[in-house]
Amino acid sequence: MAQMILKMILNGKPVERRISPGDTLLDVLRGDLGLSGTKKGCGRGECGACTVIMNGKAVNSCIVPAPRAMNARIETIEGIGTVEKLHPLQETFIHCGAIQCGFCTPGMIMSAKALLDKNSNPTREEIKEAVAGNICRCTGYVKIEEAIMMAAEMIKRERRK
Amino acid sequence: MLKDYVRAQTVDEVLAALQKGDARVIAGGTDLILDLQAEKVSAEILVDINSIDDLQNIELVDGQIRIGAAVTHQQAAESQLVLDSAPVLAEACRSVGSLQIRNTGTVVGNVINAQPAADAAVALVALGAVAEIKTENGTAYQPVEDLYTGVGKSKIDSTKQLVTAVQFPALLPNQGSAFIRLAQRGALALPVLNVAVVASLVNHKVEWVRIVMAPVAPRPLRAVEAENMLRGREVNEQNILEAAKAAAARANPRDSALRGSGQYRKSVLETLVKRGLSEAFNKAQG
Amino acid sequence: MKKPAVIGKNVRKLDALEKAMGTATFTTDISLPGMLYGKVLRSPYPHAKIINIDTGKAEKLPGVEAVVCYKNTPRVKFNTSATSTFTIPPLEPVEDQYIFDSVVRYVGDEVAAVAAVSEKIAEQALKLIEVEYEELPAVFDPLEAMEPGAPDLHGPCRAGKNIPGEKIHLELGDIEKGFAEADEIFEHTFKLPVQKQAQMETQAAVAQVTADGRVTVWSTTQTPHPSRRIIATIFGLPYSKVRVLNPPYIGGGFGVRIGLSAKAEPIAVALAMQAKKPVKVVYSRREDFIASDTRHSGYVTVKTGVKKDGTFTARQMEGILNAGAYCSWSAETPGVLGAMGLSVYRCPNQMYDGHSVYTNTTPAGAMRGFGNPQAMFAIESQIDIIAEKLGIDPLEIRLKNIMQPGDKWVLPYPCRSSGLAECIKKGAAAINWQRRGKFDKTGTKRRGLGVGIGTHVSNAWPFCGDYSNAYVTIQQDGSAHLAAGVPDMGTGTVTTLAQITAEVLGISYEKIGVTFADTESTPFEIGSHASRTCYASGMAVVAAARDAKKQILDYAAEMLEVEAGDLDIENDTVVSTSNPEIKAPLSEVAVQAHLKGRQFIGVGKIIPENAPPWLAHFAEVEVDTETGQVKILKMVAAHDVGKAIHPQIVEGQLHGGLAQGIGYALGEEIKYNDKGRQLNDGFHKYMLPTAVDIPELKAIIVEAEEPSHPYGVKGVGETGLVATAPAIANAIYNAIGVRFFELPITAEKVYRALKE
Ligand code: FES
Ligand code: FES
Repeated sequence: MAQMILKMILNGKPVERRISPGDTLLDVLRGDLGLSGTKKGCGRGECGACTVIMNGKAVNSCIVPAPRAMNARIETIEGIGTVEKLHPLQETFIHCGAIQCGFCTPGMIMSAKALLDKNSNPTREEIKEAVAGNICRCTGYVKIEEAIMMAAEMIKRERRK
Repeated sequence: MLKDYVRAQTVDEVLAALQKGDARVIAGGTDLILDLQAEKVSAEILVDINSIDDLQNIELVDGQIRIGAAVTHQQAAESQLVLDSAPVLAEACRSVGSLQIRNTGTVVGNVINAQPAADAAVALVALGAVAEIKTENGTAYQPVEDLYTGVGKSKIDSTKQLVTAVQFPALLPNQGSAFIRLAQRGALALPVLNVAVVASLVNHKVEWVRIVMAPVAPRPLRAVEAENMLRGREVNEQNILEAAKAAAARANPRDSALRGSGQYRKSVLETLVKRGLSEAFNKAQG
Repeated sequence: MKKPAVIGKNVRKLDALEKAMGTATFTTDISLPGMLYGKVLRSPYPHAKIINIDTGKAEKLPGVEAVVCYKNTPRVKFNTSATSTFTIPPLEPVEDQYIFDSVVRYVGDEVAAVAAVSEKIAEQALKLIEVEYEELPAVFDPLEAMEPGAPDLHGPCRAGKNIPGEKIHLELGDIEKGFAEADEIFEHTFKLPVQKQAQMETQAAVAQVTADGRVTVWSTTQTPHPSRRIIATIFGLPYSKVRVLNPPYIGGGFGVRIGLSAKAEPIAVALAMQAKKPVKVVYSRREDFIASDTRHSGYVTVKTGVKKDGTFTARQMEGILNAGAYCSWSAETPGVLGAMGLSVYRCPNQMYDGHSVYTNTTPAGAMRGFGNPQAMFAIESQIDIIAEKLGIDPLEIRLKNIMQPGDKWVLPYPCRSSGLAECIKKGAAAINWQRRGKFDKTGTKRRGLGVGIGTHVSNAWPFCGDYSNAYVTIQQDGSAHLAAGVPDMGTGTVTTLAQITAEVLGISYEKIGVTFADTESTPFEIGSHASRTCYASGMAVVAAARDAKKQILDYAAEMLEVEAGDLDIENDTVVSTSNPEIKAPLSEVAVQAHLKGRQFIGVGKIIPENAPPWLAHFAEVEVDTETGQVKILKMVAAHDVGKAIHPQIVEGQLHGGLAQGIGYALGEEIKYNDKGRQLNDGFHKYMLPTAVDIPELKAIIVEAEEPSHPYGVKGVGETGLVATAPAIANAIYNAIGVRFFELPITAEKVYRALKE
């Protein structure tokens, strides 16, 4: 099969990988790049477990053709925080009990991050709309929404400093 | 088997790439990727149009709103221009699948997919949108409404043609629109029914109205009798109810084991049309 | 009792950081050197004989390293559920499946499997397997499957046509007498749908076989020890040579993998044995929907005799459940259905008969609630019917009749605690129940309020065998390590068990390390099911920690030259209770012991009793009478959970259960077409709720004192959806005056009912 080179800015760093034209972005992330934080819950764009941020927008990486990511800025769960400095969403998801099995969590956090990057003052309704494409079967979404509200507050506070 | 993936930079590049054998245009690809995986569609070369600058815009040109072929649902849903001058489209786009899907799938792709209930396409038909179609031989224009040849079948051949944009008249102050959708849940769901209405009023009378209903036929269905019936009539409850009845009478929804019986859809359709007309007329009255 | 230091507090969950950072390992994330990918060929027919199967072409495809089917895999019968481990004599487990058979019994049944160097090649190879089928007559409804002319799925069954296992019969008092005493008798039949667990991580396993035949399986199982038994039995291996573990996280369970993860484990092992390389099998979402256990659908009939004042004189129930093509948990579920259904209300004369029936559909197994949601939809709907007929408020009739501690019931263990009345009162206040009956009934949108109550279990005994073991070892630095065989599928088990360990030992929570869900490093433990982990596994952990503590104190007594009985451990320090000046840091005690060649190793072995959690659910709905759509405005769930070790985890369990209950009530269902094909085979077609479908959910924790557990905890994993559907159905009735006897209550059903 034909191969091609994919270059992208992945979590802030340039990477280059050999890919097949039929690969999805999820295949490349979870495969060769070893970024297994991004999950596959359906492979059909129906659950959001594979959500990553591509050029500032939340997308289902399982239905994004990998070649389209050429020169794109891709953010995954692995790139948004460190143990020393967690992303506010990681902090609040832990704090609020928004994580049960954790399988939806990376996608959920990425969807929430895409929202908060643009809107640090979201309403509950805006939050619901932003994560409606992320299925969580464990939490009933309540604590997830609370965590996103709280992260928004944290982000605002940090900005004011 | 897929051999190459071309990220075209210009429309001409797309048209040239399509000449190279078993090639096919890919826009958002939210459905195409799945169809390729399931081997429902095959292609050796995919020609991706998302990085073509000209196709990424939503513009107002001579009173016409023009939506480029790479414009996503979410872009349309958030565009101030669309929100102001074609709110029916903004709302339709906003109801598609999920944010992730709306960030990937395109408005024009929604038309070419030719699923009768595709939300954006239903709104576009109500807006009287026209598609701009390019081939090696030049440019042609066709109403979106006329692009359907069957469920999931479009006149557009994506292995030869490229729809570069859809365009439609921006709504005027005396015009209003509505998008009414019934679905089994609030997101990640195809519509059980959707209805788009665009109406123009003059002196509290209906100048014209377009009522589009889906999925009640192999294409978004215009309620022509109801539209004609309302023309020139007063905006009042009686007329709205009569028109809604006439609209529903024209519909012929199929039984769907997943999304409800034809009978249910047909009877609820009347309510949705009624709600759509009321809302559109209200907005037109400002 | 001492004021607890750790339990009852929302400590940081042990698994949360890794999960928030995306570094937590799940089975689907595992990759081993040389690992192959397994894919499964599935039956397109609901019932057929395989006349011929030719795998030659698939074997020759470059990249394919193993192809297995019924011809080259063990002919050992088993049951994918853990029933073989749990069933205690005189009952016998039903073992009715092979890894592959020459007969397929539902659309999706396993026909063959391939291991190849990539998923794509494995998929291509599946297409090269040539199978010739002879179609057999099929049956999809349990009532039809009992008819004389219906096909026998597994030959003659002892208990009756197509009935797996035994028929269940429960009895209390004299049912005839009870009906004779009644002023009024009510009888209704309810129909329940197929619900799917739809956990986010699909069924998956990775198998590795060493040259000398030892087998390691990482998998999504909720019960590693029982799963090991099944795998060892199939492949004829000593249990000691098989290791089953979670890696350690599982993307949800909800009952779908109590036992094997569908057939992911044995298929992966069979392929790995043939290929002599590790093999990973991950079900696609579609496979997970069609070829992995569901909740039981079926019919529940309730007949109640009642006095004019609302006192129950007799209750008779019948449950006929659809087992699907293989038994799985179908012998046990009808029993839990009846037992739970009869245990909420006092009633001197009761009787239940129930069983499952094989059909050519996806096997039904365990799903959160395990028969109880089916029972309570029927019972709680009927209670409202009775209340209305007798002119009694729904809350009043419930409060009047609910089970009280000490009451006689059908269960073989006593009811020792109940906070149900408090649940009902607090829940009613939170939903503002006085508004009921005062809503405007003129517009197109109508509001209503409804209630549903229930109970559940805190482990599987006496329906199944149940016991737990645990080790607690004190490390030389004074920290403690807990080894427990129970998984944590997201329910917070590891965190709560660590809290319990810390509490008993007086060691800080941060110093507790845990190994879990691994058959090689933990003693036998049933696993995570039946709302049992905090209660039953927790008991074993308490016992192990107490054992370790005793050893510490005995040793420290010598060291400090005081009586052991005078010592306790607080804040990581051994201290005299009579003279606080006498103390030694635990680290000091541990290191001293170490220098003398001793380690404190606590062992906990328990057989649990059982205890009833109690619940009251309230729903407020709004029905659009022009479209039939039901919108839930608010739900309140007040639960008596005994002691809440980690209140936030408890709330999370309740929220999650409520959401699944909302789905069960209004939209979730797997339907079949007349060819036996599952129509709802993906998330787009299966209407589980998304964030925008969930209203405000309020969880209220009530802590009645439960004496059967050292910390007074009761089960909470399943209670959240036990009475959600009836609360909603009752609210819909309150809104529009239409009673539904069938779930889910879709917009179309509401609309039709309103038109009639
Ligand atoms: S895995 Fe991509 S949306 Fe489900
Ligand atoms: S935490 Fe399990 S699916 Fe969301």
